[in-house]
Amino acid sequence: MKLYNIKKTTIIISLLIIVSCTDNFEEINTNPNGITPELFEQDFNHIKGGFAPMFNNIQVLTPEWVYQLQQGLNCDIWSGYMATPTPFAGGVNNTTYSLVDGWNGFIWDYAYRNVMFNAYDIANKTKDKYDQFYALSLILKVEGMHRVTDTFGPIIYSDFGSQASIIEYDSQEDVYNLMFEELDFAVAELTTRYNAGEESTFVSTDLSGYNGDYKAWVKFANTLRLRLAMRIVKVNPVLAKLEAEKAIAHEFGVMTVNEDLFKIVSPVYTNPIATISNSWLDIRMSADMESILRGYEDPRIASYFNISSQFLGEYKGVRTGIELIAKADHQDFSGIGEVVSSNEIVLMTTAEAYFLRAEGALRGWNMGGIAQDFYEQGIEMSFNQRGVSGAAAYKVDNVKTPIAYVDPNFSVNNSAPVNNVTIAWNDSDSNEIKLQKIITQKWIGGFPEGQEAWSDYRRTGYPKLFPVLVNYSGGTITTQFGPRRINFVQSERTNNPGGVASGVSKLGGPDNGGTRIWWDTTGPNF
Amino acid sequence: MKKFILLIMIIFTTQFSFAQVKIINGTVTDLGGIPLPSANIIIKGTTRGTDSDFDGKFSIEAKVGETLMISYIGYETQSILIGTETIIKIQLKESSTTNLKEVIVTSLGIKKTRRSLTYAAQEIKAEELTRVRDVNIVNTIAGKVAGVTVTKSAGGTGGSTKVIIRGNSSVSNNQPLYVIDGIPMLNSGSGQPNDTFGSLAGGNKDGGDVISLINPDDYDGMTVLKGAAASVLYGSQGANGVILLSSKKGKIGKVNVTASSVTTFETAAYLPEFQTDYIASPGADESWGAAQKTNNHVKDFFETAVTQTTSLGYSMASENSSTAFSFANVSASGIIPENNLKKNNFGIRQTSKIFKDKLTFAANANYTSQTIINKPVNGFYFNPLTGVYLMPRGNDFNYYKDNFEIFDPTRNLMAQNWMTNRDIMQNPYWAINRNKSEDENHFFNGAIALTYKATDWLSIASRYSYNRITSSFDKKIYATTQGTLSHPNGRYINEDSFSAQRYADLIATINTKINENFSFNANIGTSITNTLINQRTSLDSGISAGLQYANWFTLHNFNNNNGNYQTIDSKKEIQSVFAATTFGYKDRLFLDLAGRNDWSSTLVNSDNIGFFYPSVGLTGILTEMVEMPEFINFGKVRATFAQVGNDIYPFITSQTYYYNTGISDPRPNAGPKTGTTLKPELKSEYEFGTEWRMFNNRLNFEISYYSSETKNQYLQVLAPVGNREGVIYYGFNAGNIENKGIEAIIKGGIIRNEKFSWDTTINFSKNKNRVNGIPTELGGRLNLTEAGVNSYRYALIEGRPFGVIEGINFKKDDQGRILLNDDGTFQRTDFEEVGNSNPDFMLGFSNTFKLGSFTANVLLDGRFGGDVMSLTQAQNDAFGVSKASGDARNAGGVAINGVRASDGVPVTSVDAQSYYTQVGGRAGISGEYVYDATNVSVREVSIGYNINPKLFPFIEKASVSLIARNLFFIYKDAPFDPNIALSTGEGLQGVDIYGLPSTRSIGLNLNITF
Repeated sequence: MKLYNIKKTTIIISLLIIVSCTDNFEEINTNPNGITPELFEQDFNHIKGGFAPMFNNIQVLTPEWVYQLQQGLNCDIWSGYMATPTPFAGGVNNTTYSLVDGWNGFIWDYAYRNVMFNAYDIANKTKDKYDQFYALSLILKVEGMHRVTDTFGPIIYSDFGSQASIIEYDSQEDVYNLMFEELDFAVAELTTRYNAGEESTFVSTDLSGYNGDYKAWVKFANTLRLRLAMRIVKVNPVLAKLEAEKAIAHEFGVMTVNEDLFKIVSPVYTNPIATISNSWLDIRMSADMESILRGYEDPRIASYFNISSQFLGEYKGVRTGIELIAKADHQDFSGIGEVVSSNEIVLMTTAEAYFLRAEGALRGWNMGGIAQDFYEQGIEMSFNQRGVSGAAAYKVDNVKTPIAYVDPNFSVNNSAPVNNVTIAWNDSDSNEIKLQKIITQKWIGGFPEGQEAWSDYRRTGYPKLFPVLVNYSGGTITTQFGPRRINFVQSERTNNPGGVASGVSKLGGPDNGGTRIWWDTTGPNF
Repeated sequence: MKKFILLIMIIFTTQFSFAQVKIINGTVTDLGGIPLPSANIIIKGTTRGTDSDFDGKFSIEAKVGETLMISYIGYETQSILIGTETIIKIQLKESSTTNLKEVIVTSLGIKKTRRSLTYAAQEIKAEELTRVRDVNIVNTIAGKVAGVTVTKSAGGTGGSTKVIIRGNSSVSNNQPLYVIDGIPMLNSGSGQPNDTFGSLAGGNKDGGDVISLINPDDYDGMTVLKGAAASVLYGSQGANGVILLSSKKGKIGKVNVTASSVTTFETAAYLPEFQTDYIASPGADESWGAAQKTNNHVKDFFETAVTQTTSLGYSMASENSSTAFSFANVSASGIIPENNLKKNNFGIRQTSKIFKDKLTFAANANYTSQTIINKPVNGFYFNPLTGVYLMPRGNDFNYYKDNFEIFDPTRNLMAQNWMTNRDIMQNPYWAINRNKSEDENHFFNGAIALTYKATDWLSIASRYSYNRITSSFDKKIYATTQGTLSHPNGRYINEDSFSAQRYADLIATINTKINENFSFNANIGTSITNTLINQRTSLDSGISAGLQYANWFTLHNFNNNNGNYQTIDSKKEIQSVFAATTFGYKDRLFLDLAGRNDWSSTLVNSDNIGFFYPSVGLTGILTEMVEMPEFINFGKVRATFAQVGNDIYPFITSQTYYYNTGISDPRPNAGPKTGTTLKPELKSEYEFGTEWRMFNNRLNFEISYYSSETKNQYLQVLAPVGNREGVIYYGFNAGNIENKGIEAIIKGGIIRNEKFSWDTTINFSKNKNRVNGIPTELGGRLNLTEAGVNSYRYALIEGRPFGVIEGINFKKDDQGRILLNDDGTFQRTDFEEVGNSNPDFMLGFSNTFKLGSFTANVLLDGRFGGDVMSLTQAQNDAFGVSKASGDARNAGGVAINGVRASDGVPVTSVDAQSYYTQVGGRAGISGEYVYDATNVSVREVSIGYNINPKLFPFIEKASVSLIARNLFFIYKDAPFDPNIALSTGEGLQGVDIYGLPSTRSIGLNLNITF
């Protein structure tokens, strides 16, 4: 009897344990450090949450080493803005045209993980429902992703989010057409809402300087359209003119004052270049910047660069693509100046808008003015942006030209100046010289954002840069023209080989750094 | 401590002063006259008893008419009625084949006769665990168990160890379950590195584990249950095999006080080789400059490490209760300066029988605290070794040692002094003294158990245990630490983790004979396991954010909150019911049937939260069934089939968004792919085995064959960038891993006589595995370690064995010639397979020699097959500090069989610098740095001497031994010890990236029993 009772108790206890407790499995299985989807929707945080990573990763703000690989050791250098004194990987690396997969993958990975994914996620949550958010996300998407297509050529765009085993790449032409359409939607949507006096829902989320102002965002979108239009001028001049004039003709127009410029205002991070330059000593003034800024006696130099700690009182740049033996040989040349010691990262200047209009006018487009005026306004705008005076005298200087470059330690790196134009506008100059002047000033004004400068350099060939002395590309990249793109990345070759194959076929050439992308034709500028 | 011993002695002498009557002196031997040490002698019906000494001698006080019971494992117990004699000789008979009562502890602490087991289980005796002592108990089982691969971490003394039983079968976890007295132990660590570069969060550190914290002296040996059948009763936790530890119990009738002291000296063995012929160009980081003789400073950097272990044990028992206490202290220094460890273990165990022995109550508690200063890291960050190895030659290492910091008048602080500003190579003495880390672990294990013996054939037991682990990591990084690693004002990292496990069970045990021929055993029970792993608060002032005031290491001084997190690795509850039965027929045929159903909280919201899995096994004692030749004492065959289910990661099916380190927006960490559901994984295993004993048990062997397949693995892999679910990892069921292998154990008593004996054991195992069913969306592969910016990747690849090492090779033409570009650069392949990290087969060869009072043990341990990559060598080459780079310069270049791709001009020699800067380096042509992992080492050697206790009146037993571990390699190809891994997790296997060099240890072991 006793035994029977024990058995019975055992069974009952067993059953009780099982039956009674699985009710709390949901609670046990919920991570208490997480936020549940319901809570996340409060204040539209589930939508707004995706914007911060987009803002923070157009250029990666943190960690610094990722910025270094995403941008610092490619276009910042190939644009002629900066140079590294460090012989990374024994000096065989991007700077000597041996493209490093392990570095360049970060360009793609960070853009897709942060910009493209969040744009996709926000679109899913907002399209036809909260279109103001959708419109803003499109502008940020175009801002983030045009840089990626300009780097690689064909990219994943329309097929993003597909569950197919092969994610197809779009040709760059298709990507550009989609970007124009997306800007059409965003501009129309925000213009309507602004004109209706709608209160912005974007104020707290806006990490640009616009404070959620729809009108300012439209002006930025128009200027972005103007930039993209100019980019394709050699490959599709008809569409280029159409899109450029559309931007100018919009009721809000493009950026006209420095308050309009597009920047990321990070509540937390300073420009990563500051750390890379000041603490790591991994990035320095370039020889090209020294040649041009010192030649023009450009007062912006004090904002852009520090005086060399080795050559006191002097700005000294490092030439890219030289034989680097010891980092110490060049690490005490000029570092990057106060312009990067800030939590504001400018991604598009108002000066650029004027230089774009100057080039448009030069090409005979209706830009609402003449080329010379736009050119000189661009210079003034840039001086004003940097808080530097003297633009009036500077813009009419027709004497000063870039100077020769001297490497005080290694004379083999010396060179006569190559970008031999003056500053002042001269109506009798050929269009080619005028363009060289416009792009040279645009190049100076755009510092330190190397992505746009590298694209302009590839499109126009200006400003002329010192060629590398060491080329480890294995014959794929010419010393004369430099890298035209970056090959598709390791993560894609591994995870989406079919997609990469579709990209290579749309690229129309071998998948290396020497193949020109769609808008980069070998044809003349005019 | 002395007082404690004194107290014990007083108790001891007091006890004996009460004893009366005559003293009987005896000797216990086997039938061949070989003395049996530590035989148990007890006077029947009393609590009085003793053990025989090393010579088999004992003395005991007894009255005429009392009965002495003499027992010894593996021998038949003898009883002797005390008459008038005072000297007796006892010869014990080895348990005959028909009466093999050897008992083995199996799942859930259930004891079974060895003969009835239907699966492979291998025991290690207590003395094997402490003879050549290691701070981590599992390091001492290397080479001693067939089918078990033991890989130490590069974390130095106090580091964790990776134990793989019968090959890797899971993507997420392959470590076995550790069980103490039948109760599963939580063996969590605070994380393992998986970054080829090194973690910026304080370096690639070994987060330790719990098994490394326990005191080897507390345990009476170990049983390794290798297969799924053996572990079916532990459910998912036991899917990778189970290692059972049994606490030492007091011996009835005897007060036992033991003390041991072990001192070992470790030195760095197998350092990389360096050149001494060339210096660096002025200011250069790499040593590719002029020819100039230099000193090799590397050897002098390493110190001789000293490990001092002191342990004390006290136990006493009567028939109704027993008590045991233990204490151990380990104090160790490392081979890297300023690395040291302090560990204290406390243990208590009490058992009592009450209500006429009907109810047994047992309780035990163990507490361990451990502090490690500067636990070695691997990889390039925060690692002093990079600075030591790579320092540009021509600099005076001793100057930088003595002046690792100098006063900086511009900042008014002491600043790092080093010739270069390079993230991967700081001044090593700065790294040691001004990037100091402290790891602290506290482990508590408490358990209570009640067993009620209801009838002869039924008992009911209930147990409850609580494990609690707290770990902290604290790193103070001073201002002027290299800028990639720290903010200019310094950096502070502080992590606190808490893990706990609550376990309770209720088990009814039925043990009966149905009739003369049929016996029946059953265990029916239910259990609940609730675990919380690494509930962590992690503070990091960060690199860009930083500290407001230099070198003030506290949370309030952080510039912002961005590096601070609260996270939890795992939280779950598993509820189970299970039943295991054994039917015996005439003690010669046994049938096992077992089944278990688990309900796991991790499967909530999926189709089924519960899952069932069975096992069946059959054993036949051939020697009972068929007439065998005389020389065969015992023979058995066994077969078993078992399944084990395994739940999935927690939190996957109850989605929340949260912050992940390094990702700036809240996201779900992992989730199923759209349109998929999750289910538990299932391991199925067949096993066949046979065991034989012959020539009076002088030759024993056991052979097992197994074949397992683990299906529906819960895979969690880095999701493609920009996946539409927004998760960082995808969780899904896919893939299966097959393991097939053979294990053989041969034991021989080669020589046995009164003066000299030689016993030997050979453990052999071979395992083949294959990974299948990896989804094509993932390109038929899963990366366990991503390449990052380096030329090493570790992956599971469809159709290949587990653990493929991938790297970059030379691109070659069809004649096998290396292709070069016109600019002299080498053409390289993409990532491709260059090796596999797992051995093909393993061999352990253990020998015990006895000569008079001397005992010697020699253990040889061999691993055959498998590959390793050395990025250390690659980087040393690229920096021009390796011997190879110096030799190549002396030889005027590196001879290659190459050809210029453009015009077919042969290239036979390449400048040394050009060659090594391209081929070497962490991102170089790493296929050139793959080595055969085959190695044979002299793993353990000990020579012991038993001191004649007559020399010291109150000592019962004393021995002293000279011990050595990892004495030398008989064969090795790799430039480092391939038995050491950078991680004891799943990633970073088969690669060395500035890991701590392995050590050779030699020491002295002193044991005294009072």
